[in-house]
Amino acid sequence: MKQKLFTVWVFTKISTKRFFRDKTAIFFTIAFPLIFLFVFGGIFGKDSDVSFNVALINNSKSSFSQQYVEQAKKDEVIKVSEEITTLDQAKERMNRGELDAAIVLPKTFGVIKDGQAFPSGEAKVLYSQNNQQAGQTLQSILQAQFQGMNKKLVDTKTPFSVSSEQTNDRGLSSFDYIFSGLLGFSIIGIGIFGPINVFPELKKQGILRRFHTTTLRVWQYFLSTMASQALIGLLAFAVQFAVALTLFDLQVVGNYFELTLFLILSTVTILGIGLALGGWAKNERQAAPLGNIIVFPMLFLSGTFFPRFLMPEWLQNISGFLPLTPIIDGIRLIATEGKHLTEIAPQIGLISAWLIIIYIIAFRFFRWE
Amino acid sequence: MDVMSKNNSITVSAKKLTKIYDGTTVVDGISFDVKKGEVFGILGPNGAGKTTTLEMLEALRSIDTGSATINDIDVSDNPYKIRSIIGVQPQSPSFQDKTKLSELIELFAAAYGERVNVDEFLADVNLQDKKNSFVENLSGGQKQRFSIAAALVHNPTVFFLDEPTTGLDPQARRNLWELVREVQRRGVTVIITTHYMDEAEVLCDRVAIMDEGKIIALDTPKNLIKQLLKKGFKKDQTVEQANLEDVFIDLTGKELRT
Repeated sequence: MKQKLFTVWVFTKISTKRFFRDKTAIFFTIAFPLIFLFVFGGIFGKDSDVSFNVALINNSKSSFSQQYVEQAKKDEVIKVSEEITTLDQAKERMNRGELDAAIVLPKTFGVIKDGQAFPSGEAKVLYSQNNQQAGQTLQSILQAQFQGMNKKLVDTKTPFSVSSEQTNDRGLSSFDYIFSGLLGFSIIGIGIFGPINVFPELKKQGILRRFHTTTLRVWQYFLSTMASQALIGLLAFAVQFAVALTLFDLQVVGNYFELTLFLILSTVTILGIGLALGGWAKNERQAAPLGNIIVFPMLFLSGTFFPRFLMPEWLQNISGFLPLTPIIDGIRLIATEGKHLTEIAPQIGLISAWLIIIYIIAFRFFRWE
Repeated sequence: MDVMSKNNSITVSAKKLTKIYDGTTVVDGISFDVKKGEVFGILGPNGAGKTTTLEMLEALRSIDTGSATINDIDVSDNPYKIRSIIGVQPQSPSFQDKTKLSELIELFAAAYGERVNVDEFLADVNLQDKKNSFVENLSGGQKQRFSIAAALVHNPTVFFLDEPTTGLDPQARRNLWELVREVQRRGVTVIITTHYMDEAEVLCDRVAIMDEGKIIALDTPKNLIKQLLKKGFKKDQTVEQANLEDVFIDLTGKELRT
């Protein structure tokens, strides 16, 4: 046994060394996921992750309304388009989907009515049918804004109020949420896209055939590939964590050791899919289409680029069983919610079940040439 | 036959080897023995079943019926034991790129579960100064030498070569013949397939000629020629002192090109 593991050790050592001499491989495993990180970090990384493009049409000449418009232009959530001044222009843009809504201030807005000491008025939010959500959200934002103004203007007591308290001072940002998905994507790259490109090439060159003539066993070859890919994967993940932590304010509250163990389990499981596909395929033409059939549903349904809670419930139920789903959930639960491995037993259980199924298939269908 | 297989001088023994693919009999009940230390050639046109025969002996393909032994070890029953006592040179040897010679040797030894003194090993095959080179940077001759050395890293008793000179230029072919003779001098039994008759004539102690899955002749090249002459075969009697290949080698030299 010791001798057999010695073989695994030498194969692991040399294929890991070889990785660091391969610039293309380094690019695809380490730099490529970073590109996604920067794209999604750019979209979701800032605090104001929600903003609305609106037109502000001011029909009032009151000084209060002028002030309000000036203030609104500085707002980060409500992005006021300066070029639109009439309602017709706004409607046209809304129909084209370029604007989320239009805020209309009527003639009387901000005018001090007779017998009153303060200005008053009602703003109107206009939104198109297919933009209901944005319109309603905008309405509640304005309502909150106006409530603040009301309070300043009329210092009456509010008999009923609701107080709120933050239970979780961290609060997940969108980026924290999406980051686990990006790691999932990176795992797919290392575990599937790597092997389905490398194995057919090794077969074409007869390199695997040559190993077949030796006493090397499939499990030794698999184990060494698992070890070296897990090692390379951890390096790639570490780089992504470093970038996310420094540039995009990723909040990690979990235990890094537990996270590492979980990432190793995840990488090895997904690698099994790559070994099964690459090990079975005789050439690239066989491996690539089948790889896409397996990878794309996982990318879209397991919460890689957009969260699963946006899906209809029946689809969530199905996609919950894909191997990548518990991986992405597990990473998020450990990293951003501080869960321990013992608390994510359902995820670990599901991954382990997949691990067994996938490797049975991989061993069964492996071909040396 | 029993007495024969227990005889020390028999290294490889095939008995009624048969391989059937999709109803087609590719190898049809062939039997032969290979003596210790000889170079044994399997000749035949494309599709005669040479490669399949070799692959059955190498324990790479299952033997449908019949049996084979190497050093009295049954090939079907002990594929891994067999692989540990044979070396295989593939048709077009290639190695993974971006790997140093020293690492490849370590890798191949490890594939057999063995450790090797890399420096000593490379010095033996005159490649010590290429220790840190990648295979893709070796010359053609060095590559041939390295490939054979790698296949013999675990000191096997039998060495298999499947059409090793197909597609090579005359210089590279001659270089490979020299390397095979060196292997033979080390006491290793060599089994080689080829469809070049000149190669079989200079290299092989005995040859088996295969056609359509059967062995149709088995003897030394000299005896096979004698038998043909006995049947009254006559060639145009022009005794040439040289042929075109001799001219080619004379003009371009024996030096190996990359």
